[in-house]
Amino acid sequence: MAEGGDVEWELCKENIQPLRRGRHISALQEALSQQQEGDNSAINQQRQAFESELRMYDGDDPLDVWDRYIKWTEQTFPQGGKESHLSTLLERVATRFTEEKKYHNDPRYVEHWIKFAMTCPEPLDIYRYMQAQGIGATQASFYIAWSEEYENQGNSCKADLVYQEGFKKHAEPNEKLQQFHKALQARVSRQVMMNVEEDDSDDEPKQPERISLVDLKHRGKKKAIVPVNRTGSAIRSVSGGLQSQGTSVLGNASNSRLVIFDENKIPSAGPSEPKLESWGAPPTARAKENEQRPEKWCDVKMRQKNKYGQTIMAPPPSKPTFQPFVEESDQPPTMTPCKINPAVNTVLSARKPCREETPLKRIQELHQHQNESEPGKPQEESMYCKELLLSGVTEFCFEELRAERYHQKMAQKTEVRGQSDQASATDVK
Amino acid sequence: MTSTLKGITLKGSAEIVAEFFSFGINSILYQRGIYPPETFSRVTHYDMSLQVTTDVKLKNYLTNVVSQLKEWLCECTVQKLVLVITCLETNEVLERWQFDIECDKSAKESSAPREKSLKTIQEEIRSVIRQITASVTFLPLLETPCAFDLLVYTDKDLVVPDKWEESGPQIINQSEEVRLRSFTTSIHKVNSMVAYKRADSV
Repeated sequence: MAEGGDVEWELCKENIQPLRRGRHISALQEALSQQQEGDNSAINQQRQAFESELRMYDGDDPLDVWDRYIKWTEQTFPQGGKESHLSTLLERVATRFTEEKKYHNDPRYVEHWIKFAMTCPEPLDIYRYMQAQGIGATQASFYIAWSEEYENQGNSCKADLVYQEGFKKHAEPNEKLQQFHKALQARVSRQVMMNVEEDDSDDEPKQPERISLVDLKHRGKKKAIVPVNRTGSAIRSVSGGLQSQGTSVLGNASNSRLVIFDENKIPSAGPSEPKLESWGAPPTARAKENEQRPEKWCDVKMRQKNKYGQTIMAPPPSKPTFQPFVEESDQPPTMTPCKINPAVNTVLSARKPCREETPLKRIQELHQHQNESEPGKPQEESMYCKELLLSGVTEFCFEELRAERYHQKMAQKTEVRGQSDQASATDVK
Repeated sequence: MTSTLKGITLKGSAEIVAEFFSFGINSILYQRGIYPPETFSRVTHYDMSLQVTTDVKLKNYLTNVVSQLKEWLCECTVQKLVLVITCLETNEVLERWQFDIECDKSAKESSAPREKSLKTIQEEIRSVIRQITASVTFLPLLETPCAFDLLVYTDKDLVVPDKWEESGPQIINQSEEVRLRSFTTSIHKVNSMVAYKRADSV
């Protein structure tokens, strides 16, 4: 069975990020086996080739190189992560061409922006920024991605509005937009239907409302702790708390100075309730709601310390209710071999990103900077080819650039010479 | 199938393979989101939890197919079972799950049971289904609503039963193919494979 290679991806399945467009299985196998061997030289070489191509390219479609570079990165680094530099690349490509209007509705460029947005903590901001800049304004994929983001956040109304905006702008391809819009409507209506069905079956409100002034069931024997979720099952049966209070009020009517107003009871049931008495004394200012109720203390145990003065450990967690699956194989469980080279996966990050410095902010600042420099203010201007040195994810030095140019020239020369040689050879014949 | 089973007979083998297809198809339909996940319920089989549809129509369709398949498996006339996933709008084939079935036709003549324990067969089946589940790591996202179709390749001389019709192979052009694991009952051998549209041709 030709399964030797197949095992690779299966063992690493948790470390492969699914891609929207799927993966090339051959690229995946190669990347995984290279990682396992810890052999990065081939990858580094390819990356270097892309980096120098970014700088040396002088055709009329510079986006093409970026496009290929990013696709290569996605396929070569299945688990994503820092060493893939994918987010940096996406950010660079996004900022690199913001000024070039011809790319604003290029599907590739819009695609990169969308991917960039997905790596950001606040994708919606990015989409709004794109809209303001007119990037992807006539691309269906932009509206689809934006709408999906809204939908993921549970705002299906806004998600629908985004599609309307797309239709208004005549985004292309129109059929795709319509198809996704229909799918969204179908999802939303199915959700509504299911909610209605649930409502019919048991007359409960969708969201359990929190009721004020009710007894809560408490957890813990030593210390009464009320649950965080104070609705539904957490409420002690109403008869226990509320009514007993009510009866006590009734019984000690002569003693009680004030009657507690219960907002949960229906006002129409007013007559049966004890009539409001006039305030005998001003209510105390303190909010009593969160005070601990008086309770029996005689059975409460203090947290005990053992001989050595350490607090006793909490009891072990109770056994799970489900049966964990144990394979029946006779041999003792073997460890799944670790496929990720530990040298590649360093746990510590080099630098924590500053919270204020979001990618969007960086882009906006750059944009502003460029706009400001236009009126001819004396701005800082680098007198060397800065953008060539710092184009991709790595930094080049002058010598490298020069060497690259030299190699190019030499290659051209040999080509020319080869042609002339051929020409002369034919002459001789 | 009982625990007292000592060997594998042709009938039992057909039973095992048909059962595998029933669970395998259900798994694919669930994993690839062809039907909404809430129409599936979890069952434990092969010592693993599997999702099985609760949709009545789909259930009937699948039992129909599987029982027919069982017949053909007994006769050793089936060669392939293919699950094709097509885009509902454009009818374009997006994914093709192919299960090649190799029948050992000599089992039809000699009724002597083969030596292979049910446990090892189930072990093999388990690893196939695990791979089906794991394949989401490289398969492309099915963005549009999709339909599925089952194709069965049989020997040529077979009469096409009612409710079945002949169809083309529905092959994806420019596809990427991944071979999955295989299992064998020693009478039927099932090789599985998935083909999907190549990433840059989308």
